[in-house]
Amino acid sequence: MSDARIEGYARALFEVARAEGTLDEVEDELFRFARSYESSDALRSALTDEMVPAGKRQAIVEDLLGGKATSTTTQLVSMVVGSGRGRDLPAIIDQLVARASSAKNLAVAEVRSAVPLTADQQARLAAALANATGQQVNLKTIVDPSVIGGIVATVGDTVIDGSVRTRVEQLKSRL
Amino acid sequence: MRLASLLGADPARSIHWLWPELKEIIWGVPASLVIFFALYKFGGPPAKKAMAARTERIRQQLDGAAAAKAQAETEAVDIRRAAGDIGAERVRLLAEADEQAANLLSEGRARLEAELVELDARADAEMASSSARAGDELRAEISRLANAATDRLLADGALDDAGQQDLIESFIQKVGANA
Repeated sequence: MSDARIEGYARALFEVARAEGTLDEVEDELFRFARSYESSDALRSALTDEMVPAGKRQAIVEDLLGGKATSTTTQLVSMVVGSGRGRDLPAIIDQLVARASSAKNLAVAEVRSAVPLTADQQARLAAALANATGQQVNLKTIVDPSVIGGIVATVGDTVIDGSVRTRVEQLKSRL
Repeated sequence: MRLASLLGADPARSIHWLWPELKEIIWGVPASLVIFFALYKFGGPPAKKAMAARTERIRQQLDGAAAAKAQAETEAVDIRRAAGDIGAERVRLLAEADEQAANLLSEGRARLEAELVELDARADAEMASSSARAGDELRAEISRLANAATDRLLADGALDDAGQQDLIESFIQKVGANA
């Protein structure tokens, strides 16, 4: 899909969520869903297989998100998948998150950790990243076991890597 | 007077103790002349020829002796020169032999030194290569063992919750401190 079309879908989702008054919640749920989508080959193939009817793909989305996310989030994802744009779902959602953060004058900070961060840790990490980058951040946390331990934070083009995985890789490389 | 005494003397005796009878003188002188002439006429040329031949033979003998002497002297000179040449040749051969021996010695020494340098260099290179190879093998083994140990440590869940929290807190503090 072209950037313009991704941008168009992102803007549409953004406007719907904002109109519903659940932008923050929807944005967070969509972000998590996008990361799950990226990390799961089975989910990705199920939602992008054109041999699977659109209704079936939407049913899969509703089964996955029903009861775990807001109805707005479920409907928006279902709409995108039903329209055959499942392959571009992460890019659309990332665009939406960027747009939402920009609307709040925030920078998106993608934080990956091996274990979930507590609310207190998220707040302190957001403040630390704001101090480090000089701009307020919209913290998006992802639980990624491949990190092994520690945190990898990405703010724009800046990557702050304090993960055990990277240290192990560096150690292996040095050895 | 003397002639008279001669004429008055005994014809059977000589009139003088030195001089023969006159007749004898008269006949004897011409006869002697004839004989002398005949000798001169017929005996002189062969005698002269014989003398010339003898003279020639003696001269030839003298010439031959002189030639032999000259040849002998030439040969003596040649022999002396040859002897001198032999001496010079001997000296030259000895000098050449000395020079060749010196060259052989020098070349042998240089070759030995070069071979020693080459052997040293080869030994150094082999030692360096062996050392590097051993180092590489050691590093590879250490790396393999370290990787295996790391993988095993991670697989065993070496990072418990406390460790995870420590890492997260350390990251937050470090990011905040870098502001």
